[in-house]
Amino acid sequence: MRLIPTARGAYAALSGLLAAGLGLASALLVAAIVRPESSPLVTIGGTIIDATPTPVKEYAVRTVGTRDKPLLLLGIGIVLVILAMLAGMLASRRPLAGLCAMGLLGAVGVFAALTRPAAQPFDVVPALVAGVVAVAALAYLRPRLPAPPAPAAPAPGPAPAPGPGPQDPVWIRDSHVILGQDSGDFPDPNGIKDGAPAGDGAAGDGVKGGGVKGGGSRRGFLVAAGVVGGAAVVAGGAAGVIQRAKGGAAARSRENLALPAPKEPAGPRVTTPDFYTPAGKFYRVDTALTVPQIDVDRWRLTVHGLVDHPTTLDFGQLLDRGLIERDITLNCVSNEVGGPYIGTTRWLGVPVAGLLRAVGVRAGADQVVARSVDGMTIGTPTEVLLDGRDGMLAVAMDGRPLPPEHGYPVRMLTPGLYGYAGSCKWVTELELSTFDAYDAYWVKRGWARRAPVKTGSRIDKPAPFATGLTAGPVTVAGVAWAQHRGVRAVEVQADDGPWMPAELLPVPSTDTWVQWRLTWQARTGGHSLRVRATDTTGAVQPEKRQTPFPDGATGWHTLSVMVS
Amino acid sequence: MNTKRKFAAVLATGAAAVALAACSSNAATEATGSSAAPAMSASASSSMSEPFGPACSSVPTDASNPGSFDAMAKVPVATAASGNPALSTLVTAVGKANLGDTLNSAPELTVFAPTNDAFAKIPKADLDKVLADQATLKKILTYHVVAGKITPDQLAGTHKTLEGQNLTVTGSGENFKVNGTATVVCGNVQTQNAIVYIVDGVLMPS
Repeated sequence: MRLIPTARGAYAALSGLLAAGLGLASALLVAAIVRPESSPLVTIGGTIIDATPTPVKEYAVRTVGTRDKPLLLLGIGIVLVILAMLAGMLASRRPLAGLCAMGLLGAVGVFAALTRPAAQPFDVVPALVAGVVAVAALAYLRPRLPAPPAPAAPAPGPAPAPGPGPQDPVWIRDSHVILGQDSGDFPDPNGIKDGAPAGDGAAGDGVKGGGVKGGGSRRGFLVAAGVVGGAAVVAGGAAGVIQRAKGGAAARSRENLALPAPKEPAGPRVTTPDFYTPAGKFYRVDTALTVPQIDVDRWRLTVHGLVDHPTTLDFGQLLDRGLIERDITLNCVSNEVGGPYIGTTRWLGVPVAGLLRAVGVRAGADQVVARSVDGMTIGTPTEVLLDGRDGMLAVAMDGRPLPPEHGYPVRMLTPGLYGYAGSCKWVTELELSTFDAYDAYWVKRGWARRAPVKTGSRIDKPAPFATGLTAGPVTVAGVAWAQHRGVRAVEVQADDGPWMPAELLPVPSTDTWVQWRLTWQARTGGHSLRVRATDTTGAVQPEKRQTPFPDGATGWHTLSVMVS
Repeated sequence: MNTKRKFAAVLATGAAAVALAACSSNAATEATGSSAAPAMSASASSSMSEPFGPACSSVPTDASNPGSFDAMAKVPVATAASGNPALSTLVTAVGKANLGDTLNSAPELTVFAPTNDAFAKIPKADLDKVLADQATLKKILTYHVVAGKITPDQLAGTHKTLEGQNLTVTGSGENFKVNGTATVVCGNVQTQNAIVYIVDGVLMPS
């Protein structure tokens, strides 16, 4: 099909654009009212993100940072604008094909909605609405397109070829007329200038009748276009207002979320500085391009799979099971030796073990697969969750509801396992399964199925490349960890000297890191300090260097310092 | 909301309504994966520009290759360098000087990284002597490191190295020389904690 840029082509493109705009605005309105996650832009965006190779995704996040999502939506918007304009132009020549093309745009949205991992039956409704409204709007606008030099066919059916002549103005110039001219300029001699006097006559009808039959009048078309465009703006604006109001409500609901007191409170807070990691500084490692915003009133946890009593809990029912409060250190498997992806805080949550016993785990179900609201999966050994440790469905850290980026409203937490193997954020589902039957997200990517935290230690003082150290006593300090086993000893070696035992500061349990310190008699010159920990089983932290992949880094953290 | 305004401005009149709702906060609910993911760096928020320089083209583009820019950006600087075969002499030197963890643990650094070819310009006997002398090696290597991240637009000028003495960068745009002798052959390479400028000469403190 030839798409010659003519005045009629521009109007036809505008009709497609307006029709699609009204369809999408209607869909957004429906989605905003019922379920924001069902917005076609979100489902299509999610589908595109999932289809994007991981390196491209990571590149995108690194390059555009947090603007990636708006940019993706912008891209979708631009593609939609182009396709809608093409559909409009197609409809002006071949109405049935054009309407089908417009309907196809809606079908794309339906397909995306159906294939989202977290899809609900309602999710197809906004895309269906978009398709139906867009097709209807296009069917309404198409017969009202300003007539080409030859009178347009009034009835639906194959339109005569418009036969654009060389005298037709280029569509860009004409689009200036559309965009730049306000209604006060009508009626005007433009129709004559365009060589379409027939349109002028129809415009006269339009003034009296308020509508145009059979098309042909520029004015009639613009009135109809104004109706559709106005409706789109109203619907879209209303959707925006509703969604903002809801978003504000969700933020307020987190602010005001009242959590009951724990039935098992933690002991007194550790008072040494830096034992607790402030929530704002707690490491964040996840694949979420944007942080899921979850309305706690809609949140549900479904426990199913190989269980006797599949169960769904809302947030209140979860809290009713009773809360425990614990100090727990969490670390990321991708942390390098000496790296920053480890932190400790006071968590509040519901024990996972009690919930698993209540639903009745069937024999052989050796893996609990946790699923997040956005489809992440994390597999944890069932036996680990039932061995008496404080695995929990956490709802608060550091005395406040979880920050959105740390899994609000509920995340899993398994002390003693790296995060990717036991600490699913934004969790909405626990499926009892087996390691044979299912590989979780990171396991599919080559990381170990079972990932207990390896004994580790880190020198925090002196700082890397610290200057200003002087000969004499120098405090060397840091942290060591072996969650759920506990740290028995920490030793530091300067250059090739003897290993010096460090003092271990008190800890609330074996599930947190241990702060250690010692005084080192430093002599002038450059020195290497290195540290190693021993856990309560007597195993010394391995010296051999190993990369984080596939089950956690090993090696003794070694620091160069200059003493003057 | 700035993004919203920009977004709306781009779209034509009829689609403006779309934008209003599209950029509202709830539109973002369905990203891809989530949760404690091992392979991705935590604060992947930098909006850095691309690496530049003639030698950049020889860097692998396959993100699964540890020597690629994508892979280097996710790990701390010493680990990143060890993924790049063209920096293997430097990595060996860093290992002998026991500086790897220190480079990896420092919060923000700028590293001038001499290539293997740069080290090859030093007579072998001299190089072997330096590699065997940890104190001298440390002095030389820390002369290649500056505290803080120096972006390309701040690169020209005098910078105090961790060794204590200054180094001087001249040039602009994508053409820089360090101390008048070493040329930046691939600059603005991102790692988790450092910006790396790969140079074709070893810098010597006085």
